Amino acid sequence: MKTGLVYLCISLLCAWFGAMYEQFSHGVFSYYMIYSFAFPLAGGALPFFLLSFRGGRTPGRLPLHFYHSGVATLTVGSIFQGVLEIYGTTNPLTRVYWIVGWSFVLCGIVGFVIGRRRKFAVSKKKEKAADASRHENREV
Amino acid sequence: MKFFRRHLWAVLYSVLLAAFTVYISLDTFVISRVYAEAPQADTSYENAEAEESGEAEGTSGESDSSSGRKKHKKKSGVSEEEETETVADSSYNDGGISITLTEYREYDTAIYVADIVLSSAEYLKTAFAQNAYGRNVTAITSEIAEDAGAILAINGDYYGARQQGYVIRNGVLYRDTAASDQEDLVIYDDGTFGIISEEESAAQALLEDGAVQVLSFGPALVVDGAISVSEGDEVGKAKASNPRTAIGVIDDLHYVFVVSDGRTEESEGLSLSELAEFMEGLDVQTAYNLDGGGSSTLYFNGEVINQPTTNGKKIGERSVSDIVCIGY
Repeated sequence: MKTGLVYLCISLLCAWFGAMYEQFSHGVFSYYMIYSFAFPLAGGALPFFLLSFRGGRTPGRLPLHFYHSGVATLTVGSIFQGVLEIYGTTNPLTRVYWIVGWSFVLCGIVGFVIGRRRKFAVSKKKEKAADASRHENREV
Repeated sequence: MKFFRRHLWAVLYSVLLAAFTVYISLDTFVISRVYAEAPQADTSYENAEAEESGEAEGTSGESDSSSGRKKHKKKSGVSEEEETETVADSSYNDGGISITLTEYREYDTAIYVADIVLSSAEYLKTAFAQNAYGRNVTAITSEIAEDAGAILAINGDYYGARQQGYVIRNGVLYRDTAASDQEDLVIYDDGTFGIISEEESAAQALLEDGAVQVLSFGPALVVDGAISVSEGDEVGKAKASNPRTAIGVIDDLHYVFVVSDGRTEESEGLSLSELAEFMEGLDVQTAYNLDGGGSSTLYFNGEVINQPTTNGKKIGERSVSDIVCIGY
């Protein structure tokens, strides 16, 4: 819940920054700047609110680090790309934001899925063991 | 300490992300990289004369004490005869180059038009800031024009702001990386204009076809005497009223340089379609939009004619990569 709220605040900040930047850019606009808030909103606030409402466990520490870093990189990259577009310039190094950002997000998601499967497998094992011991006790 | 250890990843990654963003900002806007020096243009009749007669001193023009302006003389080999020039605040005529400046007031905007008639296509030139091709190599239009000995100049396409798009200047190919959906203005050695798509024409082929200048900004405003942009076609950024710079050809060796002021209370600025309509009204056959906004500058005989501004608050020239100019 707390993580979702932080992401929501970041989304609002990005939306405000984008609107202010557009205000002073003499009618020149960039979708990257306008929609930079979408990364922390759709990639941060929404999934963490969902996890919190459904009572699901949050991913482990390492996948979380990767995921947060990925969303942060994509948000900064989107704002920076917007600045360049509004100025009318390009830089091939902006690709680094997208490559690193999406890779980290993917690592975070994969880490989360693997972590959940492991936990699921462990709890199944425990359940089976518990069932077996219950069965043995009844036979005795 | 516990907090720092707990958030070590976040702190380190934030520092890394900030450092990369600072570096990429410096790389885009500040760090200057010269890729090639432009060949020195022989700008004066005197230079050639001085070299021939073994004189060490050579200047690009002599000072006219009565008007305080530079006198420009014809290039050696083009005409041996030195023509009498007539210079006024809004006109210049020396027989080889004729320029008339007119200020219009349309669309709530101050529009400056330089009508140019040349005796040779060689007098329509371009020049780089610091006479060098590179990234973030810039200077104000008037400074580049003075260095090039230009009589009249406008800002060019600011090629240095992008890393794609053809750059051919004064017959030399500097960049042959095509940009997608990019239409260029080609100025051929006979002074004619052409509009090409970079995706369909190779830079080397253009050079072989006689291209002397290729300007990569756009879009084309007028093609074959008809407006080629419309309000419906315009992307959002083009709808805004802004300072604009455009170049057009009316007839053989008859050109117009057009600069509009904008972003001020006195002058709103033009949209691309308004600029195209205005250019069509000047009877141009081909017209092309160059870098605008704070870059838009018109220089004539040692003075900046328009009111260049980036934000509307302060009037002043913005540094640019290149200019299009008239001179010997």
